[in-house]
Order: sequence, then structure tokens, then C-alpha cells
Amino acid sequence: MYRPRGRSAGEANPEGRPVRLSFDHGTLRLDGVGEGEADAVRETGPWLWDARIGAFRCDAIHYAEVWGALAERFADRFTDEVAPPKRVKWGKVSLPSLRREQQGALDAWLAAGGRGQVIMPTGTGKTEIALAAMRHTSIATLVVAPVRDLMYQWHRRILRGLGYDAGILGDSRHNVRPVTVTTYDSAYIHMADLGDRFGLVAFDEEHHLPGRCRREAALFCAAAMRLGLTATPERSDGLHADLDSLIGPVVYVQKVSAAKGRTLADYDVVRIPVALTDDEQARYEELGRIVRSFIASRRKDQEGYDWQTLCAESGKDPEARQAQRAYYAKKSIEDRAAEKLRVLEDLFRLHAGERVIVFAGSNAMAMDVSRRFLVPTLLSHSRKRERLVALEGFGGGTFPVLVANRVLDEGVDVPAAKVAIVIGGQASTRQAKQRLGRILRRTGEARATLYEVVCEDTNEEARSRRRRRSDAYERTRHRRL
Amino acid sequence: MLTSEHAIVVYERGKAVPDRLTRVSHVQYVGYAERMLAVYRAGVGKTRRELQRAVERIFADETDCELRRIRAFCKLLDDASEYDTDRRGRAARLRLQVFGMAAGSHPLVERRDQLFENTEAEVKARIAEHLGRPWDDIEAELYADVIDFQRLKAFEGYPDAAALLSRYNVAQLQACLYRAERMVVTATGDFKTLLRYAKLAKLLHTIRRLGPGRYRIELTGPASVLRETRRYGVCFARFVPALLACRGWSMRATVRTPWKAAASLTLTSEDGLHSHLPAPEEFDSALEERFAAKFGEERDGWRLEREAEIVFKGQTAFVPDFVFRHEDGTEVLFEIVGFWTPEYLAGKRLTVRRFRDRRIVLAVPERSLNPEAMVGEDVVVYKTALKLGPLLEALERARGSGESP
Repeated sequence: MYRPRGRSAGEANPEGRPVRLSFDHGTLRLDGVGEGEADAVRETGPWLWDARIGAFRCDAIHYAEVWGALAERFADRFTDEVAPPKRVKWGKVSLPSLRREQQGALDAWLAAGGRGQVIMPTGTGKTEIALAAMRHTSIATLVVAPVRDLMYQWHRRILRGLGYDAGILGDSRHNVRPVTVTTYDSAYIHMADLGDRFGLVAFDEEHHLPGRCRREAALFCAAAMRLGLTATPERSDGLHADLDSLIGPVVYVQKVSAAKGRTLADYDVVRIPVALTDDEQARYEELGRIVRSFIASRRKDQEGYDWQTLCAESGKDPEARQAQRAYYAKKSIEDRAAEKLRVLEDLFRLHAGERVIVFAGSNAMAMDVSRRFLVPTLLSHSRKRERLVALEGFGGGTFPVLVANRVLDEGVDVPAAKVAIVIGGQASTRQAKQRLGRILRRTGEARATLYEVVCEDTNEEARSRRRRRSDAYERTRHRRL
Repeated sequence: MLTSEHAIVVYERGKAVPDRLTRVSHVQYVGYAERMLAVYRAGVGKTRRELQRAVERIFADETDCELRRIRAFCKLLDDASEYDTDRRGRAARLRLQVFGMAAGSHPLVERRDQLFENTEAEVKARIAEHLGRPWDDIEAELYADVIDFQRLKAFEGYPDAAALLSRYNVAQLQACLYRAERMVVTATGDFKTLLRYAKLAKLLHTIRRLGPGRYRIELTGPASVLRETRRYGVCFARFVPALLACRGWSMRATVRTPWKAAASLTLTSEDGLHSHLPAPEEFDSALEERFAAKFGEERDGWRLEREAEIVFKGQTAFVPDFVFRHEDGTEVLFEIVGFWTPEYLAGKRLTVRRFRDRRIVLAVPERSLNPEAMVGEDVVVYKTALKLGPLLEALERARGSGESP
């Protein structure tokens, strides 16, 4: 810890100098307090002495807490130069009335002083809770979403629900307004400049926040009110524990199983194994042999030679590079197995006249499907307008099928599809839950179906098994076609 | 610039060594660089993916080249290229048109049967006919806006292989600095450029004088005092070309390794990395240059040094144009005021007042003075050229005034 060194000007006349609190690049700085008063300052918050500027400094996140303590401690000497967040006047408000559990979540958040996390399953209307909170607080608000699709979706929801044309920060746009939507990456970059503009910050899919870097989006923000939303707060690295300090305590939890069958439609999970074609199988095995025999030969000289070592040495060792390439080619065969396209045709026939959404494991596979069946894709690079046309066309029934790579993994509102087909992707609990959430929106009494199309006797099968272990798949029926 | 995915760094015994290709260690790369440039120069009309594959082939038999290095070269070559990114959304429009036309025939089946009669082949043929062009053309353009399939329009390139390799080396240094948490520069000159670019990169400085004309400048970001953060890595990367353009420095950056240990990255101005920025001008103005020439290295016991000291307080740092050192040890700072906007003069006045504990002599153009201005003892007024007589008098007055701090 830095301690004030030497004689600072304040010592000569500590009392009477104005004590000024200001926002400085994502931090708070406190000027006008010398070493003699350091203890008094530290009682008001986690201040550290910054010798570079001759002032105390702490993260902007502490604004609400230090403000009151400083005002009390330094009374007349204290001036707060942090600009108060703007009040917001909403346009034509048209929000649906909240359901019981939504109202419960909002009340709990307000009771906690407008600081806390709401954990509810996908499809239960977390967005509405946030919009209601925004309406209630009527203060400058920043909404942080994981990807730009979601950012645009928030923009549309705010426009529709609160009649406010929010600013957009991200996707090469830099239009900051009292109410602004952004992505985690942009928030991390720009919060140092914007952290004093908002009274409320909402973190959608909050589990993205605690990463080593991204958390600074929360630390650099002076907003007193914070709302975190997610269906799946857990992170494999355990950092979700920090959400309590970055956002606030968990104020409301609704379990997936509680939501199932009431708010959400019932669903089936159907697993369809496909075999590689003879050519693919032969090539797959050949590639597998290359990788295995390479590793085996290296292990003779080097015990514990594994995939990591192989990657590390691929620069020096053309053979390792070849094995690396073989491995990726092998994965690509699984991912783009021709048989999958045939199964897709069968499923499209089976569900003709119904909306079907397809999740591919890669851009390449998504484009394969699109070229084969002439159906629209949402890829990470698709521009806003095309996404909108594709999504609306899908919702309005113009397009029978929508293909997505992982873009749609989280939170993007997809017009209620009843059938989803996963033809590739990583095994992970969260991804599985989120993907399920896509097709689980309640429409009438119809049940939803999630198909998983996986190559038999390959690593994909193991991934599918892992996927099914997730809580979201509990008590669902598994059957084979 | 590269992204952190392109960074190749060896961490060894607490040191971070960014990838560097030299004529000594990697002589074969001169030839590779020439061939890469040739691929791109002849590559107009090819897709990114084709160009990258072609570059990969150049290295097929190289035993010392990881994929990341190839990717990094492609990135630098792409940075000097212009691709058809389809800004007007031709491909996207075509997609929606084709998908719209096919939607009514969904699902496109392989073989017709009683329930589904639209075969893939027939539907595609119909669309091709409707659009008046072969299906293969349509399919080739369908995803032409996807980054991998964008086509090269123009290649501005690098003058030669050496320029490409030089850019590569600096880019790897910058990519390593993305992980940097702080940087310490020991400098013996070009202070103005160093401090100006540090400020432009939004870094804060902590300056310590190590001896006459030698300073230790620590650069960090605002929140660095609260925690180690990599947030300012990109600032260090932006700053480093300016550093490379300067003379007489050494640098040590603290870098966080992927496994969270600290490593240090060291470099000096003698290490042979070249900036794309020009070296700082020797003099800020012709007036200064003429004055330095007229004064000579030494006169009447006063030695003249250019930009040799930094005076600083907090984040205000001021590098006077010249320093006069008397043989008795007295040091007088000398600043030539060349501009005369009122704001500029007011700023200078404020700086001088801030550092009034130092001996500072100002040269002020007569034009910028109010007729009734009281000219202080530490001000030399000049018309077009600085006269040495009045200056030496001012220096002697300054020498006589009290103790050196």
C-alpha cells in the first residue's frame, strides 16, 4: 500500500482546505486532504494514496458509500464534483403488467436499495423486470449485454416499452445518451470515460461480468443502483462469488424446475445418432491414427507428452504441426458430417409447416446448411439489418428455418420456435440451458422438442452426454428416433 | 497492430522475450518475406482464405515457424491491404432474395416423393433462371461478405522484405505489451517527445532525476495504484513506437504472464528496433537552431544543453528548450517563447510560476508584450533573433540570485 511520503502542502494547514471528490478515469479522487488526515479519510472508504497526483484514489464503484461518509466527516469543507446522473423522462410507456414472480423480483430488488441480482430461468421475462426497474427509477441507465445482438434487442425493447431511443455503444457505434445500451467488451473499454454518467447499471447475463478484465466495467462505474440478471450465475472458475460485491447480493431466485411446465412449455430432448459416411469414417480414422501415433512416438522419448505439449511444439516441429492439423480436420469431419444434412432433411420434413431453429457448431457448418436448404443464417458478422430481417421473417413465417452458429446462445429473443436442432457445439451446462431456453417459450399447450444430432463413435457423443447432464435436462424424456 | 492472439512470447526465468526475427537468427525469413509480399502483390481478386493458405504453403517445410507467426504476418499484410468488404450489402441482399424465393419450396429435398416435391436441384435451377445467372455464380457470391471470403482489392504493402520484418518485430513487441502493467523508461534525452506521447497514450508519469540529464520515468494508468491491471497494456503498445523513435533510453516493462506470474520485458534504444515514426526533430524551431549555433557549446563559463532537464510537480512536467550549466554548478533553465497567442502565453506564465523555485529565464518576442508590460529580470525580449549579450546578463543575474535548490 502506498503511504503519503514527505511533507504535503496540506500539513501546514489541514483544516479549512476544501476536500474535493471527483471522477477520474473510472476512479474517484479525493483532493485537499493531506497526510495528517489520512486515517480520517480511510474511515470513509477503501482509499489509497496516489503519490503521482498527490491525492487519494479508489474505484468508482464505492461512490455511494464514500459520498455519505465524506459528507459527514468533512461537512462544510466537502464538495462533491461528481456530476449527478441525469433524470430520464420516458416517452410513451407500454409495458405489460408484471407476473407474480416478476413483481416479486422487482420488489426484492427495490427493497435491497436497488442493488442486487435476480436469477430466473431463460424465458421467464427478466427483460421486463429490468424495464420496470428503469421505469421506476427514471434515472440515467446503462444496460450491458454480452453480444451485439442482445444489445440491439435491448435497444428495441426500451424503445417499444419505454418509448425511449437509447444510445448505442458498441458494434462500431459510439452514441452515448442518458440511457444507453452496450456490450461487456465496450463497457470495459469505455467505462473509464463514462462511469459517472449513470445512476443505474444493468448487467444482462451477469455471469459475463466477473472475468479478470471485464469486472472493471463494474468497478469503474459510479452508479449507485445495480441490477444483475441471469439464469445461470455459476462460472467454472468460481468467480461468480464476486458478483455480490460487483453488483450486490442475490435478491431473488427462481429455479428452472419451478418454471418448467408453468411459464415454460414442456419439452422433449431427442438424440439422433448419425454415422459418418464410409469415406468420412475412413478419413476420420486415418486422421485419428496420425494424431495417436504421433503422440505415441513422442511419448517414447518424452513421458507425459500430451496435446498441450504438441501445440506448444508445433512451431518447431513440422510433424507436430501436421498432427495438429489432422486433429482439426478430424473435428471438422464431425462438425460437417454429410449425414447431418440428410438428418436435417428428415427433420424438416417431419416438422414441415413449423418454425425450426438450427444451431450449428461453426460458421462453416451454418453456411453448409444455409447453402443446402437456402435458409437464412445468423452469423457473428451479419449486420444489424440482415439480422432483423431474418429474425422478423422467421417470426412472421416468411422463413421456415433459421440457422445460427453460437451467436444465439444467450438471451436473444427468437420468435417462439417449437423445434430446435443442435447439430454441433461445445458441451457446457450454460450453453445447453441457454439453448433450451430458446425453444421453451410458452405458446399455447404445444410441447417443444430439442433434437441433438451427433456423430456416433466420436468425441461428439461424449459432449452430448455431458450436455445432457445439465440441470435443465433433468426429468426430460430421452428417446431415439 | 496485432491482437493478443498473435502474440508469441517466450517467458523464461522471469523475462518476457517477444518474438523477433533478425538477419542473424532467421536469415531465411528475408526470402519468406519477399515471397509473402509477392503473394499479396499478385493476389488482387483472391479471398483472404486463399491468400492465407498461400502464405501457409510458403512455410510448409520450415522447422521454425508456428501457426501464430504465419497468422501474424497475414494480419500485418492484411493491415496494408484493402478488401472488398461489401459495404453496400450486395451479398446480404442476394441472400435474402434467394432465401425468400426458396422459402415457399421448403424443405428442399434430395428426391421428390408424394409429400414433398421440391428438389434442391430444381429449386436452385429455377432461382438461377429467374436471376439470369448460373447457380454456381450465385452460390459463390452468397457469402462473399464473410471475412474469410472477402476478396483483395488493393495491396499497398511494405516497401521491401526488411520493412515487413521490421514491422513484424515491433508488432510482436506491442502485442507483448498488451499484457504490461507498468513501464519504466530511463531516459537521457528527447524528454519532450517521451512525455508528450505518454500523455497522448493517457498514461501517468512518476519522474525521478537520476543525475544531470538522466531521468527515470515510470508510466502507469490511473487505476494502477489500486490494483495490477492490464487495462493500460494497449496504452503502452501505442506509446512504444514513439519510444523507439527516441534516442538514449532503456525500458523495463512488467508483464503479467498467462499463468499470472510477473515477468519483465527489457529493451534499449540500441537494440535495433525501428519505429515507423520519424526521430524527434533536433530543434523545435529554426529560431532555436540558430540560437544554439550562435551560442556554441560553451561561452563565458556556461555550457549549453538542449532539452536536458525535466522540471515536474505531480502530473505537470515541463522540459525547457535549453539548460545552461555554469562551471560553478549553477543550472539555469531557458525557455524560448515562440508563439504568442494569449492562451499560450498565459499557460507558460502559469508553468513558470509553478516552478518559481527553479532558475528559469524566458525569451519572449517583443510583439507579444503589452506596451506597458513590466519585464521581469528573468525575461529576455527579442525581435527576430536572440542576442547573446542580454541573455548572458540574465544568466549572471540568475546565478547571483540565491542558492540553487
